[in-house]
Amino acid sequence: MADARLMDRAFQRIMRSLVDGGRALHYAELARALGLPAEDGRTLLHDVMAAYPIGWLHPETDYIVSFPPLNNLPTQYRITVRGEQRWFAQCGFEATSATWLFPGQTVRVDAPCLDCGDPVTVEMRDGRITWIDPAGVVGHLAFGFGASRGLPQYL
Amino acid sequence: MNLFRSEEHARRWSQFQPRSEEGFITLADLAGFFGTESRRHMLDGDYLSTWYPRRAAERRAYLTQIGKTSPFWMGTPDPPAA
Repeated sequence: MADARLMDRAFQRIMRSLVDGGRALHYAELARALGLPAEDGRTLLHDVMAAYPIGWLHPETDYIVSFPPLNNLPTQYRITVRGEQRWFAQCGFEATSATWLFPGQTVRVDAPCLDCGDPVTVEMRDGRITWIDPAGVVGHLAFGFGASRGLPQYL
Repeated sequence: MNLFRSEEHARRWSQFQPRSEEGFITLADLAGFFGTESRRHMLDGDYLSTWYPRRAAERRAYLTQIGKTSPFWMGTPDPPAA
């Protein structure tokens, strides 16, 4: 396992890449950013993901799928900031945390309702809910927390 | 972990599980649950070493505060069936 300071730097670089550009760095880019050989970047990425198990890589690859609250793989939870729809949230719950990545900005979450396909919209700014449509929007935990209750990505 | 237009919409979802009747949370509570102190430091240079380890305890405390203390929410094992 890499040392804690290096892991922190790697985590921040990955999160920052998602926030700034809408996609997570590849490990080779991460390595370059940190002045490391590419293979060390790959090992470091796996160490970071092991230390941050609420995110995950695509199985059998080194590709980041999920780095919550954002997702590198598109989901139905589309995030719009400053008029740009460039981001995706890991899930409906994490979507309400994306606001903390964009301080001082209105963060809009658009998703289709899984029952009817009609839109669900939530806007937040610095953690405060500023707009909900429709008014009855609710969160729903389908399987319960805990490893025995379902795969994390399907909770 | 999804957002629905209403509880009725969630109950009509093809994958709705009867057990998850206890899985509803208001949007305000959800914003609080996913807005605990550590969440406000996700861009900090020490998030992984300093803030992320605090997340689990914050989550438990917040769930307790809003009355969601069942194993379903707390992620603890279900009690043995009587």
